[in-house]
Amino acid sequence: MKCDDFKFEYTVAPNEIGAEASRHQLSCVECELFVEQQDKFEQQLEGVINCTVPDGLRHSLRDHVVRHKPVLGRFPKTSIALAASLLMAVGIVGINLTSNQGSSQYSALPIDQLVVEHFEHDGASSTNVSHQLDPQQLAHVSQQFGVRVTLADDISFAEKCPIGDSYGLHMVYQYHDQPVTVIYMPEITLKATLPFQYAGLHGWIKPLKNGSIAVLGGSTIEIPEEEFADNAIEWL
Amino acid sequence: MQQKRKQLEYERLVLVYSDELFRYALWLCRDKNMAEDLVQETCMRAWKSLDKLRDTSSSKAWLMTILRNEHARQYVRYRPDMVDVDLDMLSLRDTDNDTSPDAFALKQALSELADDYKEPLLLQVIAGLSCEEIASVCGITKSATMTRLFRAKQKLRDVLRPEEG
Repeated sequence: MKCDDFKFEYTVAPNEIGAEASRHQLSCVECELFVEQQDKFEQQLEGVINCTVPDGLRHSLRDHVVRHKPVLGRFPKTSIALAASLLMAVGIVGINLTSNQGSSQYSALPIDQLVVEHFEHDGASSTNVSHQLDPQQLAHVSQQFGVRVTLADDISFAEKCPIGDSYGLHMVYQYHDQPVTVIYMPEITLKATLPFQYAGLHGWIKPLKNGSIAVLGGSTIEIPEEEFADNAIEWL
Repeated sequence: MQQKRKQLEYERLVLVYSDELFRYALWLCRDKNMAEDLVQETCMRAWKSLDKLRDTSSSKAWLMTILRNEHARQYVRYRPDMVDVDLDMLSLRDTDNDTSPDAFALKQALSELADDYKEPLLLQVIAGLSCEEIASVCGITKSATMTRLFRAKQKLRDVLRPEEG
């Protein structure tokens, strides 16, 4: 491979270079230097292009759809009855056709992976909040899960979040002045406590009377012991 | 049950991609409020046609395509009056993370880049799309995408080191 060809390929998409280009990079001093400069340029470009996202954007996007969903009650009852009959007829045929699509790709993932994946998307923004959450707000979110959170004084974040094929109550708990993530998952069960440590995180997931609870934080952060789970929430 | 799964899938998309959608929208609209509206409309359309999304691995490109089409549709309907204020400068103020002279020069050059070159670049840097995905979003061939990315980056690099241009 010629140096110019390598430079073209690397400039276009540094993450997509082929095997031949990779080999060339290892064997060519000039191109190795080019890679260093190009990487620096890509970082500059990223810094310029990626701007700050307004707080609460995600909330407004969730609310926007909820507000604009078609409401069943607006239609005449006869129309609903007709539609229901039609749906039943279609449904009976459809069940056979879609039986293999019953579970999503997420249900196949191990529970710790679901938790870590969620943290990767939501962790930074949720742990950035340092002030205590309004108790009423916490009560409002936790009631949707049929629980009361007994750690109210030290909770800085609480939100209903998609975890796997169900929802979880995602909270951030200030433990020894460090943000620890606590996720109550009423529909996800496991047989025994599962400790995990990867992707720069460590934590454990413990089965509860209803569902399970995950506690995790950065690998250098101290997290509570398992007994914490027994007193963190109460069922209403 | 189906409705719950749809809601979950939608919320997952919002959780994972809303930041990237906003950043792309901001560069297209050059106005924070318009960008937020555009992302909202994009998400509404995504919600309505979520059943058509068969392969969740292509969710990001799918959403970016919706946003891009929606922007084009809105732009046809609404063309803002030209005013004395420099719109490019407004966009620069909206993306104010790095204030170094190099960053300023890059922002200016990026704003002046033709859309045909700017869009593939934004899709790569903001959304991390592959050349193939960018080609599909922009409706061009993969080789055209590669050429445009190369030229766009070359042009921007020349701004930082004009003596080599």
